[in-house]
Amino acid sequence: MNARIAGWAGRLAGAAIAAMLATTALAQDAMLYGKSDPAAKSGGKLMVGSLTEPPALDPYHQGADARIRVTVLAYQGLFYEDASGQAVPLLAESYAMSADGLSYTFKLRRGVKFHTGQVMTAADVKYSYDYLRDSKNGSPGAGDLSTVDSIEAPDDHTVVFRLSRKNGLLPITLTHRYGGVIPKDYFATPDARTRLNEVSVGTGPFKLRQFRQNSVLVFEKFKDYWQAGLPHVDEVTFAFMPNSAAMVVAAQNRRIDLGIFTRPQDAEQLARVPGVRLVRTPSMNQKAIDLGSEHPALKDVRVRQAIALAVDKDAVMKASIAGYGQVIGTMVAGMQDRWGLPLAEVPNQKPDLDRARRLLAEAGHPNGLEIELTTIIGYDWMDAGAVTIADQLQRIGIKVNIRKIELGVWVRNFQSRQMGFTFNDWPSSPDPSLLFYRHFRAQPLGADFRNWNNARASELLDRGREESDYATRRGIYNEFQKIMAEEVPTIMMFSADLLTVERDRVRNHQQHPTGWYFGLVKAWLAE
Amino acid sequence: MSAGTIAARLSGATPVQVLSCVLFAAFAVLIVVPELVAPQSPLAVDPGRALQPPSAAHWFGTDDVGRDLFARVIHATRITLGLVAGALLASAILGGGLGLVAGYAGGTLDLVAARVVDVILTFPPIIAGVVITGILGPGATNLVLALAIVYLPMFFRIARSGALAESRRTYVEAARALGFGEASIMLRQVAPNVLPLVLLQYVVLFPLALQIEAALGFLGLGVAPPTPDWGAILEQGKNFILVAWWISLWPGLFLLASAFAVMVLGRMLQQRLGSG
Amino acid sequence: MLRFLASRLASSLLAAALSSLVVFALMRAVPGDIVAQMLGQSGDAAAASALRGFFGLDRPIHVQFAEWVGQVLQGDLGRSWYQGKRVSLLVAEAFLVTLEVALATLLLATLVGVPLGVLAGIMEGSRVDAAIQVFNLAGLSAPVFWVGLMLLVGASSILGWSPPFAYMPPSVDLADNIAILVLPVLSLAVLQAAAYSHFVRDCMTAELRREYVRAAIAKGLSPARVHFRHVLRNILIPLVTFMGLILIQILGGTVVIESLFSLPGLGRLILSGIQGRDYPVVQGALLFVVAIAIVVNLVVDLLYGLIDPRLRP
Repeated sequence: MNARIAGWAGRLAGAAIAAMLATTALAQDAMLYGKSDPAAKSGGKLMVGSLTEPPALDPYHQGADARIRVTVLAYQGLFYEDASGQAVPLLAESYAMSADGLSYTFKLRRGVKFHTGQVMTAADVKYSYDYLRDSKNGSPGAGDLSTVDSIEAPDDHTVVFRLSRKNGLLPITLTHRYGGVIPKDYFATPDARTRLNEVSVGTGPFKLRQFRQNSVLVFEKFKDYWQAGLPHVDEVTFAFMPNSAAMVVAAQNRRIDLGIFTRPQDAEQLARVPGVRLVRTPSMNQKAIDLGSEHPALKDVRVRQAIALAVDKDAVMKASIAGYGQVIGTMVAGMQDRWGLPLAEVPNQKPDLDRARRLLAEAGHPNGLEIELTTIIGYDWMDAGAVTIADQLQRIGIKVNIRKIELGVWVRNFQSRQMGFTFNDWPSSPDPSLLFYRHFRAQPLGADFRNWNNARASELLDRGREESDYATRRGIYNEFQKIMAEEVPTIMMFSADLLTVERDRVRNHQQHPTGWYFGLVKAWLAE
Repeated sequence: MSAGTIAARLSGATPVQVLSCVLFAAFAVLIVVPELVAPQSPLAVDPGRALQPPSAAHWFGTDDVGRDLFARVIHATRITLGLVAGALLASAILGGGLGLVAGYAGGTLDLVAARVVDVILTFPPIIAGVVITGILGPGATNLVLALAIVYLPMFFRIARSGALAESRRTYVEAARALGFGEASIMLRQVAPNVLPLVLLQYVVLFPLALQIEAALGFLGLGVAPPTPDWGAILEQGKNFILVAWWISLWPGLFLLASAFAVMVLGRMLQQRLGSG
Repeated sequence: MLRFLASRLASSLLAAALSSLVVFALMRAVPGDIVAQMLGQSGDAAAASALRGFFGLDRPIHVQFAEWVGQVLQGDLGRSWYQGKRVSLLVAEAFLVTLEVALATLLLATLVGVPLGVLAGIMEGSRVDAAIQVFNLAGLSAPVFWVGLMLLVGASSILGWSPPFAYMPPSVDLADNIAILVLPVLSLAVLQAAAYSHFVRDCMTAELRREYVRAAIAKGLSPARVHFRHVLRNILIPLVTFMGLILIQILGGTVVIESLFSLPGLGRLILSGIQGRDYPVVQGALLFVVAIAIVVNLVVDLLYGLIDPRLRP
């Protein structure tokens, strides 16, 4: 074949690849924030009832899930976490990883504007992530970016991250959880942090109009948002409800268009109300019981195993969320297919009271023991769950005293690694390394909040973090899950479904399994 | 004429007062032997039978984890009334004792004690309760502590003004002249005269303290589950108010009845001892 | 009188200062501060210490207190650590809501309770009196939030109506404002009306037994005239002092009602401040509550002192 044909072939191939990439990119873009609805109409004001109120709207310094849910509407990261937990390029248009895995090059989207009016450039991205990863700034997201050595902005639309160690998870840590891209030097002004509660400075489809504590949070459509035609609604108002009874009443009387119930069975009261529908979505959360090894009784693995063998997860789930969920083994329900060890292979899942009693006796407690179980104020499902667990453990001779404490106190115990025997309600994490690493990897590299200190588990977690190949990682995390189920530093019980109540006029609302309000971007109002 | 009216007329008591005595007797039974009235367990969980309306099997219905509400409300009588009675007793002893000494002795002790008590008085009762239990955490002990602190000033003031008034009476001077020691006079002569005032205050404050205890329980700052307590049951019930209003109905009625009974008793005592 | 006022003022200021100190110390003594809450399950030690420095929590406690007192004396209550808004603004906004509820309740309760009490007093011993007495006692015994819950159930199931949940000031939307206040005010008014009725009845029965009443009626003055011109006037001062006492209770006691009906009042501000460990808000709001209580207590004591010299402290 002569050079001319080769040249044409090359150009054709190049064009074909470009076209494929473009279509993939376009296809991926079309899936950002869920599926688009061609019949969508613009306009209208959407009223959302919320049982949780964000303490503040600062995506850099506030770790609470209640905050993340709403700030995802105003702030965006380089990537978007889709419903299956994968990182899809958002503010990054495309990216490439170097062969040695130690540097990532991101090409940025053009024409993206901040709520302040300025155009986004690489300098802004560099500033945003530099600020986030510097622990002197006090961001809860700093830890996730500890492998980043430096960030460069060689030109206006390119950003390069240089890593000190391979990190297959980098894209997923650059999503919406913490931070987001904000204008360069934003935090240089003294009142910058608290001003975020009055004015938003992100690139997201909604910008902040008003935030009144204990009252309402209002977002309005960002007219210069970079995705054409979005968002559909003109305004979103979050009204904070003091309890689910108020939300049920509000939904019944059509004062709200949308609401997520923290306790799914509360929504049952709306089952027969005309004009509203209930949507059930498997979620990424998990309700668990933690067993800290610093506790004198729980130090012995046999005691922990005995407890695991006495707990009937189905019964606990029925009591606390009326069965609106899925019993899990060692992986969040929304990630079971992709990452979960098949339930049949997970040890210590089914109640076996005889074996439990024997283990207790072997561990030196033939006549049972007394232990305190901690629950948290404001987490209603824990009350019913605690009572049920106490009932179940009594059958193997363990007397449970329930102690209810405030969230602030619980967090302090958690951070100082004195958790003891407690309920836990884990925030969502789309990747097993993000889910497990800090929690279970032994010190000093991990936080090991439950003082488990297991060498083999730590080794597996280290490897899983660096590895990028899906199949290899799957094998690593399968083995990790087996060890976790054997040694019981935690009992993952169930993932509660997200129960969303929607009025008929709300269309195309896709509930994201994290519970964050991504779905409001492509939702529209029929009248 | 009904039997009740006859009985009332005969004993010289009004129908309201008779009702109050009947309630008192009923509550006494519930406190001492709740198992006789409600043999079912207040703690037995049964998720399959959650949120059932009142029926023959469950006179008051069931709550959100299937526990029998009748048993819970009956057994809670001892918990709730006991908590309030105990807290007020502690408050009466501490506050009353302090007030007695302060009123009788006067001087710096009086000044300091009155200032300390003033600090407590600056907080409206429920805010003080919220601050104390919110800071120390929920639970029966902290609740008792909070209630005892909140009502200490009332006992202090009444004991103090009583002691002050008594200390100026001639019999005290006479006792001094006879050579009795101050402490002896205070304890043997003045205290017995102050005691009725403190007692009256106890009875008058009881319904108020009951309301505060219920309110704190309702805010989630009360006793830990699964112990039944009227305020806690109300707190659980508020989430199901539309489908299971009975969870909220009964504890409220019992609170009303017990406060009512004590209030009438308080009025009777007030009338006996002259105006308060 | 002036000496009395001055000494009361001095001791009140001292009480206010002491209670501020107590609140300051207690809040910091309790585990779990704002840093712990902000970082949640995701924090690390470096971030925690950075945040602690940002909020000034790493300095010795007496330094923090001195700084706060200095600020307060200049009229600055600081800023909320979560919201960034000025505490004085937050407190003012919340207070207006609570005040609106308190005043509406006061109005309704007076309109219902005082006439009931007067009626019961005049018709002492009759069936009407007995019925009113039962109402009084029941109203005083019923937990306020329970009444609220029952009203909510009743309104929802019988009338198919529920209040809006987003509070609107009357200047913005009067209809919504009234709708959201109806149930809470009714619940509180039941208790208050019963209290007033009870108190007024007692006062009336006592007054009506007095000599001058019988003398006036014997002289030929109509009972109605005697009641309204003389008796009522005499019970006015005790009534007003009583209302003052109840007002403090209401101002403080709306916490539960605010929680139930989602009203952004002072009680809820304090409650959420304590739970979120937002120290400036809690300190500022409590200082405000204490100040109000002191003022009302002072006025009530003055009035009491006027009526009954024996009760002067």
